[in-house]
Amino acid sequence: MSQNGMTVRPQPPMPTNKDDITGTWNYLEWGVERIMLALKDGVDLKTYMSLYTSIHNFCTAQKAVGSQPQNNLNSSHRGAHLLGEDLYHRLNEYLKRHLTSVHEELVKHSDEALLTFYITEWKRYTTAGAYNNHLFRYLNRHWVKREVDEGKKDIYDIYTLHLVRWKEDMFGSTQNAVMDAVLRLVEKQRNGETIEQSKIKDVVESFVSLGIDESDSARSTLDVYRQYFEKPFLEATSKYYTAESQQFLAENSVVDYMKKAERRLDEEKERVALYHREEIMGPLMKTCEQALIAKHAPILRDEFQVLLDNDREEDMARMYKLLARIPEGLDPLRTRFEAHVRRAGLLTIEKVAGQGDALDPKAYVDALLEVHTQYAALVKSAFTGESEFVRSLDNACREYVNRNKVCEKNTTRSPELLAKHADNVLKRSTKSTEEDDMEKLLNQVMTVFKYIEDKDVFQKFYSKTLAKRLVNGTSASNDAETSMISKLKDASGFEYTNKLQRMFQDMQTSKDLNLAYDEWRNDNFDKEDRKDEIDATYQILGTGFWPLQPPTTGFIPPPAIVKTYKRFENFYNNKHGGRKLTWLWHLCKGEIRANYIKMGKVPYTFQVSTHQMAIMLMFNDSDTVAYDDIAAATTLDKGTLDPSIGIMLKAKVLTASPEGASPQSGTSFTLNHGFKHKKVKVNLNVQIKSEQKAEAEETHKTIEEDRKMLMQSAIVRIMKSRKQMKHAQLVGETIQQIKSRFSPKIPDIKKCIDILLEKEYLERLDNDELGYLA
Amino acid sequence: MATEGDQLVKLESSDHVIIDTDRKTAERSMLIKNMIEDLGSPGEEPIPIMNVSETVLRKVIDWCTHHKNDPPPSAEDDADSRKKTTDIEDWDQKFMQVDQEMLFEIILAANYMDIKALLDVGCKTVANMIKGKSPEEIRKTFNIQNDFTPEEEDQIRRENEWAEDR
Repeated sequence: MSQNGMTVRPQPPMPTNKDDITGTWNYLEWGVERIMLALKDGVDLKTYMSLYTSIHNFCTAQKAVGSQPQNNLNSSHRGAHLLGEDLYHRLNEYLKRHLTSVHEELVKHSDEALLTFYITEWKRYTTAGAYNNHLFRYLNRHWVKREVDEGKKDIYDIYTLHLVRWKEDMFGSTQNAVMDAVLRLVEKQRNGETIEQSKIKDVVESFVSLGIDESDSARSTLDVYRQYFEKPFLEATSKYYTAESQQFLAENSVVDYMKKAERRLDEEKERVALYHREEIMGPLMKTCEQALIAKHAPILRDEFQVLLDNDREEDMARMYKLLARIPEGLDPLRTRFEAHVRRAGLLTIEKVAGQGDALDPKAYVDALLEVHTQYAALVKSAFTGESEFVRSLDNACREYVNRNKVCEKNTTRSPELLAKHADNVLKRSTKSTEEDDMEKLLNQVMTVFKYIEDKDVFQKFYSKTLAKRLVNGTSASNDAETSMISKLKDASGFEYTNKLQRMFQDMQTSKDLNLAYDEWRNDNFDKEDRKDEIDATYQILGTGFWPLQPPTTGFIPPPAIVKTYKRFENFYNNKHGGRKLTWLWHLCKGEIRANYIKMGKVPYTFQVSTHQMAIMLMFNDSDTVAYDDIAAATTLDKGTLDPSIGIMLKAKVLTASPEGASPQSGTSFTLNHGFKHKKVKVNLNVQIKSEQKAEAEETHKTIEEDRKMLMQSAIVRIMKSRKQMKHAQLVGETIQQIKSRFSPKIPDIKKCIDILLEKEYLERLDNDELGYLA
Repeated sequence: MATEGDQLVKLESSDHVIIDTDRKTAERSMLIKNMIEDLGSPGEEPIPIMNVSETVLRKVIDWCTHHKNDPPPSAEDDADSRKKTTDIEDWDQKFMQVDQEMLFEIILAANYMDIKALLDVGCKTVANMIKGKSPEEIRKTFNIQNDFTPEEEDQIRRENEWAEDR
């Protein structure tokens, strides 16, 4: 019955006797064979209808030959007896015979010809199956349906019967050869040859169709496809790419290999849409990734350092993308990245660290930022800003910001320098900073701030410098100050910036107070009375919020300002009874016009501290004043008095006698009438170097004290809520609470616990437990 | 606008009378629908409906014409509503007011031509004729001879006692 040698059987007559199984089948077999072998010649209407009708007639015959006895009460549970079993089995037998002959033909072919034959036969057979399914619809509707409803296995609708036969009589013995041919085709394509992809698609569809669910023939499963197509296909894929990648890597650079692997992965992905089931995408990609990436992950990772050292951003992005595809592929990369950034940070800082104590805060902060900026950009561009890489970057930055050459001796150098840098940014300077630039500079400060561990140190220095900017009115802009405080608040919380904000509020309150004072003065005193007052502004600073020290020296303010400030004192005490005003004379300042010397027609104006003012005003009475007289009149201590005079000597406002003598008992000072200066306004109120240094040291000292307090209050807080706790556990909790301010050392915490035990806030219990005493 | 559904289709009855109808109407029969799907539109060539006579075929076509725009039955319909009720819509009820001979011919034709909805209506009509009748009345209605022996009849009655309406 080969296609070429097909002989057309003469058409038997349509059966006239409905009960005649032999006649009916004889006719049907002729019809089915026509459909199987000569469908392309067409089937005419009459034949089609005759075939259908003869099945119908046979199934509706009153008494079918060879079927079970009817009208038997024992079988009455089946209801009406349905006919058709014979037709079903004869069709089944016919299909078996038919496929045996097809199979005989198939084995004569091999490789691609075999594949072609399989596909052609499959298509012919299934098309015929769909026809037969329609012709045998009456059988499907009644006999088959009843059998299936009653739970009979191995009975299928007619189309499925075709598939079942193919699966059993063809597929089992040919799928191996078919798959071999498919895999050879696939390999050819991978080698760059053009192939007929549709053939693979046809095979896939054929295998999928054969996934008949044995329990429910209406459903299909992918079992056959998975076992006979997907599995060998993936195995061949793995083998192919394992071999290829090994060879390629042996002959080419890693970078070239990555490009190749990337291309291969893309190709395979594209091919899925061309001739695969969507379902294979996952397993296929996994297989390719295993062979192309996972197997070579160590070699790829070794190359990472080289790429980092040479800023090969594009190649790093490629490596990231590849390794991101395999599980845990990126962890070693992150570790290396972190170490690299840390090294780069330390190296950059070492370059600026040579300047020692004179280290410029800006240079230091810029160095910190430079490394961060470079690698933050790399994370974004090459590593898609992935959060784990961001974390590695953060870890590295935290390391080099807090532990580097500059911090070697003093761990608090980083926050101190950062605060100083912030001060320089926020201080009014000769070049005005644009608002946008200012914002950018502040954000840079915040970038470094984020990594600072000793945030309490930064807070200390920052509030010191802020106080100075506010008291001296040297802020570049109020907006910038507010912006910076709100940034700090966002980063470290309300408590962290509470004092800074109160300082700001005090400044505003003071402004209002001055206005109210002016009004009060105008209302209560006549013009004549106000004449000998001095124009003054006052700042009322809450003791608890400002990092300012009360004066350490005695001081008698110059008589000229006494009326002025007493009057204010009076006003303030009236307004706020019960508050204590302390004058911070050492922070006050004023201007003195020197009517005795002029530049052209304009007298010079000296900007001086109140201390200096008191000294200078003494010269109103006499051109020459002795050191001891000054000391007696002002009651300033030597440490304050000497430098104050020193500056005036240096500026040549005064001259000492004997000439060149330093301020000390026995020296006297004379007003220099020949004073000259290039500016009309002369600033004599400059802070002395040694003072600055002493201040920084003082600040560091208070930090230690504050930390102790912070740790103790944290311990008490924890114990108050827990009542009792193991020693080690308490230490751990304390570290957790304090961490955001600074990194506490365990011995320090232990010391604090001991202090609290002594003060009887805590008690020792059994089992190394501590208890809280209310 | 002539669509596929308006195509002329000729049907030939068992007594060789050719009846014109349109494709949409004819395709209410799954037999014809499948055939057209397999062989293509037959055009002028009449489709032999070998088991149905002219009078019955005309009646069936009448029904198909009336129902040609019905939505195709869903799987759920099949399982539930139609099977459970014996309600028949008014038009179909009038359509089925024919003599018993014709009624059975229509049922046979619907079964042969695979027109499920018509088969259902036919069977429901018969069911309504049986409803509420005693076996004797049913035998009379359908002119059936009692071919049970008294023993057999007794056994059946005992087995089905639970169903008796008392």
